[in-house]
Amino acid sequence: MKPRTRTLALAVVLFGVAPAATTHADDRPVYGVLLKTLSNPFWGAMEQGVRDGAKEAGVQYFMQAVESDQAAEPQLNTCNTMLERKPKAMITAAINSTILLPCLKRANEMGIPVVDLDANLDHEIARKAGVKIAFTIGSDNTAAGKQGADWLAGKLGKDARGAVLVIEGLSGNITGQKRAQGFKEELAGKAPQLKVVASLPGDWDRQKAANITNDIMTRNPDLVAIFCANDTMALGAVESAFAAGKGSKITIIGVDGNVDAVKSIKSGRLAASVAQLPYLVGKQAVAKTKAVLAGKKADEYTYVTTLVLTKQVLADNKDPNLKYLK
Amino acid sequence: MTIEAAGIPESKRGRRGRLMVRLESVVVLAVLVALLSVLSPYFLSVSNTLNILLATAVIGVLAFGATFVIAAAGIDLSLGSVLGLSGVVGALSINAWGMPWPVGLLFCLGTGALCGSINGLLVARAGIPAFIVTLGMLGVARGLALVLTNGVPVYGLDDAVVYIGQGRPAGVPFPVFVFLAAAALLHLVLGHTRFGKYALVIGDNEGAARAMGVRVQRHRIALYALSGTMAGLAGLLFMARTNAGDPTGGINYELTAITATILGGTNLFGGRATIAGTLIGALIMGVLQNGLNLLAVSSFYQQMAIGTVLVLAVWLDQANRARGQR
Repeated sequence: MKPRTRTLALAVVLFGVAPAATTHADDRPVYGVLLKTLSNPFWGAMEQGVRDGAKEAGVQYFMQAVESDQAAEPQLNTCNTMLERKPKAMITAAINSTILLPCLKRANEMGIPVVDLDANLDHEIARKAGVKIAFTIGSDNTAAGKQGADWLAGKLGKDARGAVLVIEGLSGNITGQKRAQGFKEELAGKAPQLKVVASLPGDWDRQKAANITNDIMTRNPDLVAIFCANDTMALGAVESAFAAGKGSKITIIGVDGNVDAVKSIKSGRLAASVAQLPYLVGKQAVAKTKAVLAGKKADEYTYVTTLVLTKQVLADNKDPNLKYLK
Repeated sequence: MTIEAAGIPESKRGRRGRLMVRLESVVVLAVLVALLSVLSPYFLSVSNTLNILLATAVIGVLAFGATFVIAAAGIDLSLGSVLGLSGVVGALSINAWGMPWPVGLLFCLGTGALCGSINGLLVARAGIPAFIVTLGMLGVARGLALVLTNGVPVYGLDDAVVYIGQGRPAGVPFPVFVFLAAAALLHLVLGHTRFGKYALVIGDNEGAARAMGVRVQRHRIALYALSGTMAGLAGLLFMARTNAGDPTGGINYELTAITATILGGTNLFGGRATIAGTLIGALIMGVLQNGLNLLAVSSFYQQMAIGTVLVLAVWLDQANRARGQR
């Protein structure tokens, strides 16, 4: 008797788990939306944008994500599964530029247009793999880096001298590379006396960025600024700088404009963050997809604006885009 | 000398021991399939079944390797990293080192075999605990994969290789054939050859194995080498499927593979294992993941569901075993 009770218990639990999920399920899904992960405020804001965009456009969608932004093969599997539901469009934020291509090719073959959310695909590589991307929408990461450099040159002056540290993202990640590259190129033009003395991968990790900052402060006591390819790392760098008593001497800039960064900027620790607006990206992606399905032509690339957040900007609260910070 | 003569207690082999697969795994799988067929209209179809098999192929092959090592009371934590390294070496040998593609595939398997042999040698000859050795290999293999590629995936392989990962002879994805062929072959090896039986005897009672004249340490090296080779084969499939040697491929896969092995009825402490059981275990995870994807359950709940099913399945198993021994 007992094992049978346990089998029953198992069945009950399974029945319990599954319906919890069916709230999302719908017999008439319209758009399939595949994100990287939801365990990150950036993607949470993107999700909100998609939700509001779908409401405004009067369309339905179902959303999937995988457990982390490293889970490439699971994302491919999820993508294949999503096609079983035959969505009208696939809006995907691929974990890297190649992983989803087999699935997206199948989508094309089924007549489903493919949207590149957050600019993770390379149109050239996709074309070679037989994938036609309807359009790319996202933030221009090179421009974000440049904006950071512009702001720094403006703050320190174009004749400022000193050492600058760049903390990149995960080695090999295109987003981090573009941000760091944009920053370095622009800085060389705008404030040539500010020398980038090191450009190291911080792997998007707070602790790692803090350690790098410590090491470089020891090596280059004249360090005047640090550019980090995301806010998480910038917040780590800030802690190291303040712990070493150099908080007021070193200008630290992050990218993303996430909640913690905003708090840190308001309390005068982090100097600036180049905010991307994933909420707007998600919202506009849905609207544009609807237009494409209705037969309108879309630009190959659409970049949503980014803005530099500083204590002043946040205090003034005048920029209309500030309301899209999530 | 036969196993019976080695004095293995009858209760361990029992009535159920003669079955290919323990019943509980099949019950869990059947309940899941029935449930998901009711909950999702997209679940029960040929194309979705192929999706599940395709999505399970890499983890399944990895789990077969894990089964041999665990059968002999060992553990291999390096599977995921060795998978990543094998794919990278295979892709580099074709793209950067100018090898013909069949040699590249052999490089995948060879890399796995080499890593596995090193694990085996260190465990058997140097006497370092398997947990430590393979944890070390987890780091070394992953690091080496990143060093070799500078962290950037090696994209764009030979068409023949891509066919192995993405081709569909007779409408069935090629990796599925490899997966099922490996299952059939390894099932025979573990269940019906001296090599497999000795592995189980070592796991059950090392002293008895010695008394039988099994060269335990040599056998152990061979088992780790086999496990590594399976990681190499999984790396090959991963590489072919994603059309890239991805240095971050397979992170945490060892845990999923070990979970599938345990779900399939293998005793974590050795002595009891079948490949058919592991196949069922891997399919349970594949079906669950696929079903939860179809129902658009958030990846957060998915991890909870998989953890719950693992614990419940083992609980069921132990309840039955306790009853069998009474």
